[in-house]
Amino acid sequence: MQDISELQKSYFHALCELDEKKTSSLIEGALAGGVKPDELLIKVVIPSIDQMNEELIMGQEINLAQHYLSAKISESIAMKLLDQVQTAGECPGCVVIGTAVGDFHGLGKKIVIACLRAHMFKVIDAGTHVSPEAFVDLAIENNAQVIGISSMMAHTATGPNGALGVRKILRERELEGKIKIMVGGAPFRFDHGLYEHVNADGWGENGLEAVATAKRLIKEVEG
Amino acid sequence: MTTGMERLAAAVKGARSDRIPVFCNLFDQGARELGISSIEEYYSKGENVAEAQLAMQKKYGYDNLWNLFFVGKEAELFGCRKIIFANDGSPNVGEFVIKGYDDIHKLEAPVELESHPQFAECIKCMEILVRENKGEQPIIAYVTASMTLPVILMGMDNWLELLLAGPAEVRDELIAKCCEYVRAHIAYQIKAGADCIVYANPFASTSILPMSMVEELSFPWMEKDIAGFDRGSMVFYCGGAAFNNVIEKVIERLGLLNFYLSPMADIAEGRRIVDGRGLVCGAFDDMKLLHWGREEIRREVKRIIDAGMPGNRFAFGVQGMPLGIPEDNIHYMLEAAFEFGRQDG
Ligand code: B12
Repeated sequence: MQDISELQKSYFHALCELDEKKTSSLIEGALAGGVKPDELLIKVVIPSIDQMNEELIMGQEINLAQHYLSAKISESIAMKLLDQVQTAGECPGCVVIGTAVGDFHGLGKKIVIACLRAHMFKVIDAGTHVSPEAFVDLAIENNAQVIGISSMMAHTATGPNGALGVRKILRERELEGKIKIMVGGAPFRFDHGLYEHVNADGWGENGLEAVATAKRLIKEVEG
Repeated sequence: MTTGMERLAAAVKGARSDRIPVFCNLFDQGARELGISSIEEYYSKGENVAEAQLAMQKKYGYDNLWNLFFVGKEAELFGCRKIIFANDGSPNVGEFVIKGYDDIHKLEAPVELESHPQFAECIKCMEILVRENKGEQPIIAYVTASMTLPVILMGMDNWLELLLAGPAEVRDELIAKCCEYVRAHIAYQIKAGADCIVYANPFASTSILPMSMVEELSFPWMEKDIAGFDRGSMVFYCGGAAFNNVIEKVIERLGLLNFYLSPMADIAEGRRIVDGRGLVCGAFDDMKLLHWGREEIRREVKRIIDAGMPGNRFAFGVQGMPLGIPEDNIHYMLEAAFEFGRQDG
């Protein structure tokens, strides 16, 4: 049987090349060779997307195109593998995510969703132009620990119908201990302190940091 | 009194004036300036935009006037009829005219701009600006590049997918139609009296696309967009994305010499690369103005000007200023830029 770390290396290479066929065939080959789907997820798919994350943070030539496509490839492979995993309970938690009212920029959110799913999160896509009430209702309905709000413009990020609005409802309904808010999008990338001004509990520079923030916030809810 | 036009002309030549040119990009603020409570109503009339642009320039004393409503306006020219207006920020395209490849085949490039109903108010605005300004302040027009226009026609996600994984002939058909429009747009702006054209293309930044695609796809389309037009009045801009690593290629392949850097860019490095061949504008990250205080603002203005000024051929600028910025902060920033940007002392 193929050495799993060798497999991870080839998979990572294919992912960087955005070679969807190659990534799939590597995974299928490994499954056919008897490697368990959960092992593939934990030792191949997730570390590879994390490795891209590290390179992204270190400012190496990883661009939006690669970030988007690699997240999509990872998401679709992770979803296929998850279908085959017997044991439940690996899911780190549930995140409801959408864009703020007035904001129709859905790409950042798509990338974040793909990354969360590749990390086995349950994700509810609330869509674009989502009201604070709808965010909170969806979170309650799905027992989500985190509400993720994406905005590309300053006014949708900092306005009363974004994170501030969600915070207000959580406070009124005494849900702040159960549901945390994370935010992201261009304004937060320009100003790293902005998330505190909108009363969010955390933010993420990119899709993969969103995963780390979501994990941290879920721990806070559980802890 | 030195005019903005004189300051810009001096800076472009590498000569000195009383101070460096200071650009301040106020758009949605115009409604507040005129006491119009609805931004939608404000943008419905070219007179409003022109009047507010002139009034804000007088009030603050910076060196430019904009003939730009909002970027989504260009989607309207292609048939979009749903712009989502907010009262606390920029209008946003709320519907994509391209929903499938079929729509790309059917798409018609709006090239008859002067008779286009969706362009009439922009024309009116420009006429007033030219008439009232009397050549004192540079009138700046904003032109979205053909590689970037598809974003507001089909959404960033769908465009990236077509660009990266879709059929090349469909992709090229779409960019070619956008290019036809871009050329008509540039021609109109020059003819109508724009002193300066900001040519905006985030898809020329390697934070969006890999360098290979920037070189093999973005560059040839940029060459087509601007072929035959006077480069002297054009400024290269990537919508706020960083692009220092393509400056040399832009100069070589496009002959563009003026650069409006990203607020994330290393300004001194940008200046070194341009190396006196054209004008460099260093941009203040205006998102910070939402909640910074006077001292922080002054420190940041000084940092930018210190990095950019040696050797002149430098201007100070911002991005598209968010409406939520308090007026005081606009004053603090400008007052610092006027002060640290002095050249006659
Ligand atoms: C490309 C671009 C454009 C393109 C396409 C935009 C699009 N996506 O549809 C065009 C040229 C069309 C454009 C237009 C406009 N733009 Co623009 N644009 C940019 C640019 C260069 C990149 C934005 C982008 O698409 N990034 C890629 C996406 C995927 O990144 P992202 O959304 O940030 O998502 C990532 C992270 O933020 C994070 N994330 C995202 N969501 C979430 C959510 C959570 C919960 C977490 C944890 C993380 C997370 O993960 C994602 C993946 O890494 C930025 C400047 C910059 N350098 O960022 C300006 C920028 C975003 N634009 C800006 C503005 C203002 C506009 C306009 C409103 C201008 C106008 N007055 O008309 C228009 C709106 C047009 C419209 N749609 O109607 C401003 C926004 C700030 C502000 N001033 O309000 C910026 C910051 C530029 C600036 N400083 O002026 N723009």
